[in-house]
Amino acid sequence: MTVSLWWLCVPCIIALFLVLRFLNAKTQHATAKALSNPVCWAIVLTAALLVAFKLPYEPFAEHSKVLSWLLEPAIVALALPLYQQFIHVKKNLLLILISCSLGVINATLVASLICYFFAAPAQLSASLASLSVTTPITLLVTESLGGIPSLAAAMVIFIGVLGAIFGNLIFSLINIRNAQAKGVAIGTACHAIGTASLISDQPKAGAFASVAMALSALLSAIIVPILYPVIQHVLV
Amino acid sequence: MKYLISSVIILTCLAVAKFLTALLESSFPAPLLGMVLLLVLLLTGLVKEQHLKPTASPLLNYMPLFFIPAGVGIIEHLGLISQNWTLLLTIFIVVPLTSVLLIGAVIAYFKGRENDS
Repeated sequence: MTVSLWWLCVPCIIALFLVLRFLNAKTQHATAKALSNPVCWAIVLTAALLVAFKLPYEPFAEHSKVLSWLLEPAIVALALPLYQQFIHVKKNLLLILISCSLGVINATLVASLICYFFAAPAQLSASLASLSVTTPITLLVTESLGGIPSLAAAMVIFIGVLGAIFGNLIFSLINIRNAQAKGVAIGTACHAIGTASLISDQPKAGAFASVAMALSALLSAIIVPILYPVIQHVLV
Repeated sequence: MKYLISSVIILTCLAVAKFLTALLESSFPAPLLGMVLLLVLLLTGLVKEQHLKPTASPLLNYMPLFFIPAGVGIIEHLGLISQNWTLLLTIFIVVPLTSVLLIGAVIAYFKGRENDS
């Protein structure tokens, strides 16, 4: 491929994503829906294509900048669903707020401890500190910690798929049937992909999951940049 | 016109956030600060939901598209990943599992295990 063909990046990504999203919308079964997640496959297929043709990442990133630029205003726009969720849950807000905070703190703490025991390099542990949050937020938080944003994003997406597939099994194993407990746990730990898997067959849990996902986005943005350096300071 | 107003609101929040983080020399991500600013504007009623929707809805709807290029950046770190795959696999399982168990237990403690509907 010659250099002049790089302009094809953006139209190809858009087309690929729309096709994958269409196929995903057609799937009915919850597990199949989680496994056919369009973002996950769009990233995997694009990455595989670049690797297969030995194409460098840098010009690809350069030519798909338009999409990356739009991420910033899109993150600002996340305030809208956050606001819409806030006004729904005033009654349960305190308990959900505490649970989400615990989930976010737990994710950072557990990941840091595991990295410590594995004697992982600093760049790697910074990449794994912010996994209990939706992908766009993890990109930003991980970058501010000095980690690898794309690695954090991949982990977050895979965790979401894992939660969507095994979430219900875990709850039946520990005998939890409360919609709020299920929803908040999945929304905080497994964000959008986990939440989407609840919405279709357990709408009440799904609603709580949406709230928890929105809250953990906000909480991660505040908690992780403060907590992570403290943990590193204590461990090292 | 409605697209213009909602775009201006979003971009103003982003610009103010960028200005503030630059001014304070903070490493806090500017778009996140912009999100918090916009949330405050919504909660105080200074900005109404319907003012925001024309631009916010399509942006949110296509947001996954915007982080695909960043995600593809993983190909630059395949060596690091294959060297540390046991660590990554451990974290991949333990982090969400402990979070789900912790949150499930806390809420079940206060609300009971059975469905409350």
